[in-house]
Amino acid sequence: MALDWKNLSFSRQILPAIALLGLLAAVLFIFVGLPDRNLTEPDREPPRAPAELAAQARVAGAGVVEPSSETIQIGSALSGLITGLFVQPGDRVTEGQVLFTVDDRAVRAQLREANAAIAEARASIAEARSAQATAAQQLALYRNVDDPAAVSRAEVIRAEGEAAAARERLSLAQARLQAAQARAGSAQTEIARLTVRAPIAGEILAVNIRKGEYVSTMGGSGSQPFIEMGQTQPLHVRIDIDEEQAPRVALGAPATVSPRGASDRRVEAEFVRAEPLVVPKRSLTNSAAERVDVRVLQVIYELPETNGLFRVGQQVDAYIAAKGAEE
Amino acid sequence: MGKSMDTTAIGGCNPEAAICTRGVTRDFEAGQQTITVLHGIDLDVRAGELTFLVGESGSGKTTLISIMCGILWPTLGEVKVFGTDIYDLGDTDLVEFRLQNIGFIFQQYNLIPSIDAANNAAVPLIAQGMDRLEAREKAVGMLEKLNIGDQAGKLPSQLSGGQQQRVAIARALVHEPRLVVCDEPTAALDASSGRRVMDLLRDVAVAEDRACIIVTHDNRIFDLADRILVLEDGRITHDGKDMPEGH
Amino acid sequence: MLWIAIRMLTGDAQKFYGLVFGIAFSTLLITQQLTIFVNLIERGASGVYNVSSADIWVMDPVSRTTDVAYAMPSTALDKVRSVPGVEWAVPHIRAQASVRTKDGDLEGVAVIGVDDATLIGLPKRMLEGSTDVLSQPDSVIIDDVGTTRMFPGQSPIGERLELNDQRAVIRGIADAIPSFTSTVVLYTKYSQALNYVPGTRNRLSFVLVGAENPLEAKALSERIERETGLKAQTRDEFAQDGVQFIIENTGIPLNFGITVMLGFIVGVAIVGLTFSLFIRDNIKQFGALKAIGVTNSKIRRMVAVQAGLVGLTGYGLGVLGTVFFIWGFSGDPTFKGFYIPWQIPLISALAVAVILALTGWLALRNVLKTEPASVFR
Repeated sequence: MALDWKNLSFSRQILPAIALLGLLAAVLFIFVGLPDRNLTEPDREPPRAPAELAAQARVAGAGVVEPSSETIQIGSALSGLITGLFVQPGDRVTEGQVLFTVDDRAVRAQLREANAAIAEARASIAEARSAQATAAQQLALYRNVDDPAAVSRAEVIRAEGEAAAARERLSLAQARLQAAQARAGSAQTEIARLTVRAPIAGEILAVNIRKGEYVSTMGGSGSQPFIEMGQTQPLHVRIDIDEEQAPRVALGAPATVSPRGASDRRVEAEFVRAEPLVVPKRSLTNSAAERVDVRVLQVIYELPETNGLFRVGQQVDAYIAAKGAEE
Repeated sequence: MGKSMDTTAIGGCNPEAAICTRGVTRDFEAGQQTITVLHGIDLDVRAGELTFLVGESGSGKTTLISIMCGILWPTLGEVKVFGTDIYDLGDTDLVEFRLQNIGFIFQQYNLIPSIDAANNAAVPLIAQGMDRLEAREKAVGMLEKLNIGDQAGKLPSQLSGGQQQRVAIARALVHEPRLVVCDEPTAALDASSGRRVMDLLRDVAVAEDRACIIVTHDNRIFDLADRILVLEDGRITHDGKDMPEGH
Repeated sequence: MLWIAIRMLTGDAQKFYGLVFGIAFSTLLITQQLTIFVNLIERGASGVYNVSSADIWVMDPVSRTTDVAYAMPSTALDKVRSVPGVEWAVPHIRAQASVRTKDGDLEGVAVIGVDDATLIGLPKRMLEGSTDVLSQPDSVIIDDVGTTRMFPGQSPIGERLELNDQRAVIRGIADAIPSFTSTVVLYTKYSQALNYVPGTRNRLSFVLVGAENPLEAKALSERIERETGLKAQTRDEFAQDGVQFIIENTGIPLNFGITVMLGFIVGVAIVGLTFSLFIRDNIKQFGALKAIGVTNSKIRRMVAVQAGLVGLTGYGLGVLGTVFFIWGFSGDPTFKGFYIPWQIPLISALAVAVILALTGWLALRNVLKTEPASVFR
């Protein structure tokens, strides 16, 4: 149709043109406006099955990192104020190294008292010995005098009595010495007990006490342990396996473990043992309500050295080969 | 509807004749009974003449003219237009034949109201497949011949009755048909306009190899005819240069 | 001749505009109502579509939709992870809770807990703030429609809420498609969500799964069902479940069906009547054309072109009207995320074609039946 601009007809040309343009605009609008329902890759890497297990039978579980010695919660045998704290979290300690000391002034006073008693007993012993010697010499003197008249019978008896008394005093003093020595030993033991030492070599994981605080044998405030330590070389990881899945786990096979939030960094962990006791699943989700309807098999794996990727108490995701996969 | 029937019984056509009908009969079903409108019309129409077909309404002249120009099948008989047995053609060929060879002037003009005079006149050319602008050019030429070239761009509703008539004539002639059929061309016009139209028709439509049939009962123009055929009750009762007495 | 046909059609402006209006109105009614219908029932799937990275949703066998879900034990996550073909799986919690606003009002909210480590389960886009705010304590992210409902005309950032006696601070606004009920949605970490939702023993609503091969998600979902005894639905299936749930539990399909039907009937009525009138007015011209020598097939083509022009113009205007409607209301939270599915204009185009074919055929019957001889009467 030849376009004659002067004779442009609204109904024949302009309206259909508007309609066509409108259609084009509508097509554009429709295709631009279509909702974006494309699947996208997650922004952050979620835990994935390792490549070698991707297409195979496998068992997944969640777990917590723990020291190979398990966590040792250090307690105190005696109550008292803390007078010295010698470690901080992260310190490596050797077996027997002093961790903290509890106020020992009372016990030291007892020790000094006992030592004084020892000295006193020793003096008594010396005094008794000298008295005994004196009495013995006098008695010998009297016994060597042949003349009965020269020494009266009474004198002899008195000298004999004195010698016996001196002997008694000596043994008494000796007994007192032993008692004082025992007291001193006991005080010394107490002093040793007021110094808390590392039971094994390992790493200090948490210190929940500060100098000047009162520790009781009943445990710390909020039932926190005073100090937590454990052997972190190597670290272990305790994987919970749902009891329904438990029979499928290939015990002995290594596990692929990745920490929460860094699931692209996977390590292979060596099998250590499976706990003989199947326990109720401990909630790992910070929920106050415990879930007791699910029981889990706990399997322990040894983590390789990873330079700080894993820390004690961290949650991990783990993939373990299932029994079928090994065949 | 019957195709051509046994023609030998009626006799062959004169090859000179523009239109030749032999034994054309037409029945209409009206309820239970059959009304025969045409009773075996045998007719030759020559080219170069202005032929009038005259008759009372109901005499069958409309039926006859429809059959002669190929838009109504006869019940019996044969129609040849310039030697072509038109009811021997297939439907589509018949339509094509009309398009190429016949020009129509309708009583009510039947112009298309939404296109201008030139385009209306160009309709047969456009229908033949000619480019629209070329067809329009030719149609404007025809309108000029009919002295309404200055009205070419107007819509039919903007034209007077006589002007519309001329546009209708232009439409009938624009593709130079060999047969022009004209239905009551003067019925809507006063005497003088009617005569002017008839003069015009005689000027432009009558040609050496063109037949022109005018259906009319307007006695004011009978004197313009070259030949008058009177149809009464489905039969031709008069054939001559003048009207018989009594009409 | 087709040119003449168009001239004939547009020559009668009243009828032409009547026809165009009829078609445009029908198109508008059908397209717009179907669009609203589809968008409304797809609200049932918005929970699924808001999570852009999960191929498969795993749930308890009795769970039906994102909002009608029965919780599973937390070890379901490990079971799902144990299935070969599962690339990753993360926990997802969806629960209803009541929130106390600063004014003391109660408002029902949906709490959605996403995986702590990966934040899988959050909507793809944030309107304000970043997803990292969830690492701050007591953080929640509110969805934008919730913002308009709970905090009309003010920024919700920094607002404090009380959820299950816990403090929650709004630190971000997510750009999410609202649910069918337009419930306020609060996104938070899984571990945090456990605190916000009054506890039952089992709380894990869903496990979201990424497939090794997303194209074989269907096969994987079947394997998960087989190996874990849980119900696994691919994303599209689960979206469909949500839609189905709305369809089964509301009268929406019937209502909209009636309106769409009305649109169709109005279209047929207006267009049919006008077209018949138009043809009847022009029957003489058609008769003349037939006498002059225009074949029936050409007449058919003429009418088809007339119908085509009316259809195209009316349809174009109708669709344009729908686009303007959707565009005009896109700012309204009720219409948030509304879009025109590309199938719907095709459906209305089909309806228009049917209307025109039907009315055109009826009108044509008259024309074709017209004896050319009638022009002499």
